[in-house]
Amino acid sequence: MTGPQRDVFFVSNSVDELGGVTSWSHQMARLFTGRGHRVHVVGITEPAVPQELGELPYPTTTLYDVHPPRVGPARGLRGRLDVAERRLRAERAAGMREKAAELTALFRAARPGAVVIVTQVWAMEWVELADTTGLTVIGMSHESFEYSRKTSRFRRVRKHYKDVDRMLALTREDADLWIRQGMDNASYMPNPLPFVPEVPSPRIENAVVSVGRLTDQKGIDMLLDAWSEVAPLHPDWRLRIYGSGEDEEILRKQCTALGLDDSVDWMGRTSDVPGALRGGSVFVLSSRGEGFPLALMEAMATGLPCAAFDCAPGVHEIVRDGEDGLLATLGNTGELARRLDTLMSDKALRDAMGDAARANVRRFTTDEVVRRWEDLFAFLER
Amino acid sequence: MDQPRAHAEQETEPAASPAGTEGAGEAGRPAVSVVVIVYNDAARLPTAVRSVLDQTLRDVEVVVVDDRSTDGSYEVARRLAAAHPGRVRACRLPENSGGCGAPRNRGITEARGTYVVFLDSDDVLERNACRNFLEAAETTGADLVSGLCVRVHVDARARKEVKWYPWLYERTRTLESVSELPDLLVFDTLSTNKCYRRQFLLDEDLRFPVGIHYEDLLFSAQAYATARSITLIPNRVYDWRVADKAEAKSISNRRDEIANFTHRMEIHRRVDRLLADRGLLDLKFAKDVKFLKHDLVLHLRELPFRDAAYREEFAAIARRYLESIDRAAFDETEPIHAICAYLLQVADWDNLLPAVDTLTNRDKISSPLVERDGRVYWCAEHLDDPFGRHVLDVTGLGHHIKAVDRMFLRNALTSYESSGTTVRLAGRVTNPLGVIPPGARLAGELEFYARRPGVRFQTFRFPVATLWHAGEAIAWEGSADLAAVRPLGIVDAVWDVRLHLDVDGVRTTTRLTAAEPGLAEGRLPVRPRLSRLVADRIEPVVSSRGHLSFRLVPDKKANVLVLRGVHGRAATLAKSGYRRARSLRKDLTSGDTKIRLYHEVFSRLPVRKGLVVFESHLGRQYSDSPRAIYEEMRRQGLEFEPVWAYADGPAGFPDDATLVRRWSLPYLRALAQAEFWVDNQSYPLKLTKRPETTYIQTWHGSALKRMGFDEAEWKLKSREEQAEQQRTLDRFDRFLIRSEHDVHTLARAFRLQERTLLRVGYPRNDALVRARWSEEGDGRRERGPLAAELGIPEDRQILLYAPTFRSRGNGQKRFELPFDVERFADTFGDRYVLLVRSHYLNHVVLPPSVRGRVLDVTSYHDMTPLLALADGLITDYSSVMFDYALLDRPMFFFAYDYDAYVHEDRGTYFDLLERAPGPVVRTEDELHTVLGSLEEQSVKYAPRREQFLADFGEYDRGTAARSVVDQFFGQWRRG
Repeated sequence: MTGPQRDVFFVSNSVDELGGVTSWSHQMARLFTGRGHRVHVVGITEPAVPQELGELPYPTTTLYDVHPPRVGPARGLRGRLDVAERRLRAERAAGMREKAAELTALFRAARPGAVVIVTQVWAMEWVELADTTGLTVIGMSHESFEYSRKTSRFRRVRKHYKDVDRMLALTREDADLWIRQGMDNASYMPNPLPFVPEVPSPRIENAVVSVGRLTDQKGIDMLLDAWSEVAPLHPDWRLRIYGSGEDEEILRKQCTALGLDDSVDWMGRTSDVPGALRGGSVFVLSSRGEGFPLALMEAMATGLPCAAFDCAPGVHEIVRDGEDGLLATLGNTGELARRLDTLMSDKALRDAMGDAARANVRRFTTDEVVRRWEDLFAFLER
Repeated sequence: MDQPRAHAEQETEPAASPAGTEGAGEAGRPAVSVVVIVYNDAARLPTAVRSVLDQTLRDVEVVVVDDRSTDGSYEVARRLAAAHPGRVRACRLPENSGGCGAPRNRGITEARGTYVVFLDSDDVLERNACRNFLEAAETTGADLVSGLCVRVHVDARARKEVKWYPWLYERTRTLESVSELPDLLVFDTLSTNKCYRRQFLLDEDLRFPVGIHYEDLLFSAQAYATARSITLIPNRVYDWRVADKAEAKSISNRRDEIANFTHRMEIHRRVDRLLADRGLLDLKFAKDVKFLKHDLVLHLRELPFRDAAYREEFAAIARRYLESIDRAAFDETEPIHAICAYLLQVADWDNLLPAVDTLTNRDKISSPLVERDGRVYWCAEHLDDPFGRHVLDVTGLGHHIKAVDRMFLRNALTSYESSGTTVRLAGRVTNPLGVIPPGARLAGELEFYARRPGVRFQTFRFPVATLWHAGEAIAWEGSADLAAVRPLGIVDAVWDVRLHLDVDGVRTTTRLTAAEPGLAEGRLPVRPRLSRLVADRIEPVVSSRGHLSFRLVPDKKANVLVLRGVHGRAATLAKSGYRRARSLRKDLTSGDTKIRLYHEVFSRLPVRKGLVVFESHLGRQYSDSPRAIYEEMRRQGLEFEPVWAYADGPAGFPDDATLVRRWSLPYLRALAQAEFWVDNQSYPLKLTKRPETTYIQTWHGSALKRMGFDEAEWKLKSREEQAEQQRTLDRFDRFLIRSEHDVHTLARAFRLQERTLLRVGYPRNDALVRARWSEEGDGRRERGPLAAELGIPEDRQILLYAPTFRSRGNGQKRFELPFDVERFADTFGDRYVLLVRSHYLNHVVLPPSVRGRVLDVTSYHDMTPLLALADGLITDYSSVMFDYALLDRPMFFFAYDYDAYVHEDRGTYFDLLERAPGPVVRTEDELHTVLGSLEEQSVKYAPRREQFLADFGEYDRGTAARSVVDQFFGQWRRG
């Protein structure tokens, strides 16, 4: 290890909330620990749905054991006069100051050169109340700019990350969009590849694989529309949809209505994503929005060529269109169908693109990403 | 000051570490040196230096270079240096240099950082600027990093900020050479929003020129041209603080201006030389274009305010430089830019000064224009010079097809006299192409009105005494007794004047242009309503656009009192009260309020039996199936209460119906109380239909392109948004269907229930089916009155060109025909008349040369009579193909952009190439070939047309309107 060993704090909504950000933080926390840094993962509150994390080689802290009071901003005269709301708001503010003081105590104990990585903007509301003098504070947005724009996070990122030492988006393109919103402290950092399987997919089964929760965001409805155009051309191919979620019933109905029951397999949630990917020959991503999709990287690492909606800068950052995968305009199901058709019709193309994908995606290996983080820590000290 | 030491250090220093290496480098060598230059700006210097010391990048030094100030700036700099040892250094030039070049050059010498940034003492750096510069430079290894500069108008009431050429800084990008982005060199000529690798400056010996203004232009051009790589970052890096008030006052004398212009041209020449030496011809070309479009324009706009001597001197300098401009650059500008440059070059002042008026007032027609050989030219002169003829050709502007009330005509003031309270004015109004005919009834009216719309409570009008045709122009004389003009005072200090000219009852409005300096002078008494204390005289002034206006001359003493009053507490309260009242009024008339009114008030009124609200294409037209149904109802003499909605104006809508403006209260009320809605597109989406109302959605065409939920845009919506969309579609109680193709496409794309589908065909197409019957019956094709109206001779066949809508983005509505219309007319003019109907959102301009042979029929509301008239149809992907097929006449598909349209756009429901009932051609030549004989095509494609009709028009049987009326309105038959 060349650089200095640092104290690194990850501050998230929860230590173990089910989701991509949690997986990402603990992956990074383990990697940093492995590099000799002293890591501490802090969650603001207990999660609604927890995720199994296993044995952790670093300490964790959760500030609240009950969720802090939920209050909206006071709107108009009526909002300001609502006594119950006011009391709740005061209570929340007092509680936040108290919890921020706990954070301050943690930060004070850190060695010089320590870094606070705030992974979600909600957590920043506590970090900004804490004393971070002498520490480098990094705020992250783990989704594409466009996707963020549709949520309340858009406003909150611009408010709470305005003065952090560096705000990190997932890609250069996203960072540029944030910069144009006046976030002149914005830069970017890609996600690391979660794993590189020893053995790639043999690409022998005539199966297209989709992995993702069955929710609106993942666009399985659009995938089915696209599939209804390709399936008749390839009666010997199957679409395997892995995942479960709130929309399952509606989606299955849609599948039946489109007459696709004979070619679509509803695989349910799987704990063996590598295995699921190895069983396919093509991967499809039909999301309405993404950040820096891990599933896509995993599929590529498994040697699958991908057909994907170009739904985020992260997607065309990972996939080199025409070289290691094929992209379609977001929402254009006819185009996605044509991309799938191209891959399904041509074994040689699948093999070439699959091999290219497995090779190309290595630029996001953990070594590479950890090096970039350590460089960033050093840069922000200058 | 430690000048010798700094120099010594410079010589012994090792070469700067190469780009890309990290860390602070050798001890004492900062990452970035910011060179702050100052001249007599002691007050603001500390702010500039503070903006560097507060940088998020700590590894930064400040080098203050004083250009021998006399106000103590250097002492301030030294104090700053003393307060921040090791971070701030101060030095000064031995004598004042009078420019920015020498101090910056000195700064380059003094700087020790790996990178150098320039900052002026009155500006500031953004907090993260140096960190962002450094990150970009180290990741890309660029010699030069450039970021966004923002002009901050510090004196403006609400600190106004204007980004400096933001389109160059939309994203991070690295250029291997500036020729990848010529606009960078051409537009962003600042040296201050940039970070230079110091070794790059030294290696290339880059220095600012000294003793000449506009030193930035040359320096940045050199830096761009020599940099091995340039990185642009979208970050705001530099605040250029602009003091508006000072700027307005610094009107220098004529000598200075001419000197400045001479300097500017000299710098341009040096830059051109540099580009030529480096073989950067593309850049020179881009720069030429910019010179014509921007640099020259700035100076030309000043000309009306300058005297003849200045004009001559300016023209002489400019003309010399114009010689070096590539003539091809004239084609890359707007016509008026090229015209002005050309007229300047040939020293035609009589035509140039009016042209400058158009340069300043873009829509104005300031020249009488002339038509020669079927083209329209700016002026009659210079047409024997081929280049002049080329530049002066303004056919494309379409002035020759505009009506006089759509024209903004130049009205040049020729005399101004005032005596007592009366002002006597005379002027000449341009009469382009004789649009105001000699025999026209003319009347005129001068109008005085307050410039600020918010305080325009009253306008004052005076009839114009005389108007007459005077050669190519309309001359006028009139007077106004300004005693009648009663401004309020203070809030309405500026008054504009316009002249309304009535030509045979059609009104066109002009502004009075004071074309010569000193033309309008002399104060007149005035009585403001707020008493003469605030002002007792009014004086003529010429606005920046060259138009005559008047300004109240405030009494100085009273003015102080008044200003105090205006900014006092009482006035503030009054003003905020006024604003609140205005915003309340705005709220009350807003869309949201109207929607609430519709739902909460109008929808509670009883439904009126027999009330039918018709609408076609969002009220833009009286046309299509709603019209056909309406006319059938009239024909049958039904008793009902018809309401037609219009969008722009009621012209063209039927007299025997109640006409309501879309979104007006009567419209909303009619919709709320209607028994039937009959429409072909959509009523306002937010209006809920009452269950008692029946909505007959006729729709307006079968689909080739994917529609509704088959479009990407719709699919992308979230589940809630889709549900919201579906609610508006579920308002349809009946949806008209022309064929089973519609069922598979439109009905599915709109997710309509089977029971809403009405398989009766389109009422609008009944006329087409009947036309075919009649033709088949007696073997004759009836042309009807439209042919005569359009003046089409009996012996010509009629072709209709009806392409689909194309959006070209950036708000442009002009549709460029994809073929040479003059060539078409020359080839086929003796046989065919071509009717051109662009989509109602587009418009076309036809040159006069094709008059009588090619006609623009876009303004005809109703498509059906045009289809019935045409002996052949040329289209691309428009849904008119489905309707025209009913006539069984030849069809041509000019699909010049087929692949792009079909694949890159939203896609189609079927392959046009396979099923088109006529030849599909990709090029103009192919089009000409197939158009050779209509009869031949007609025979050749007869079976395909039959198949096409069977596939896409099976329910269009000529009885659609009657079926709809029978089914829904039969109960209203009399007796």
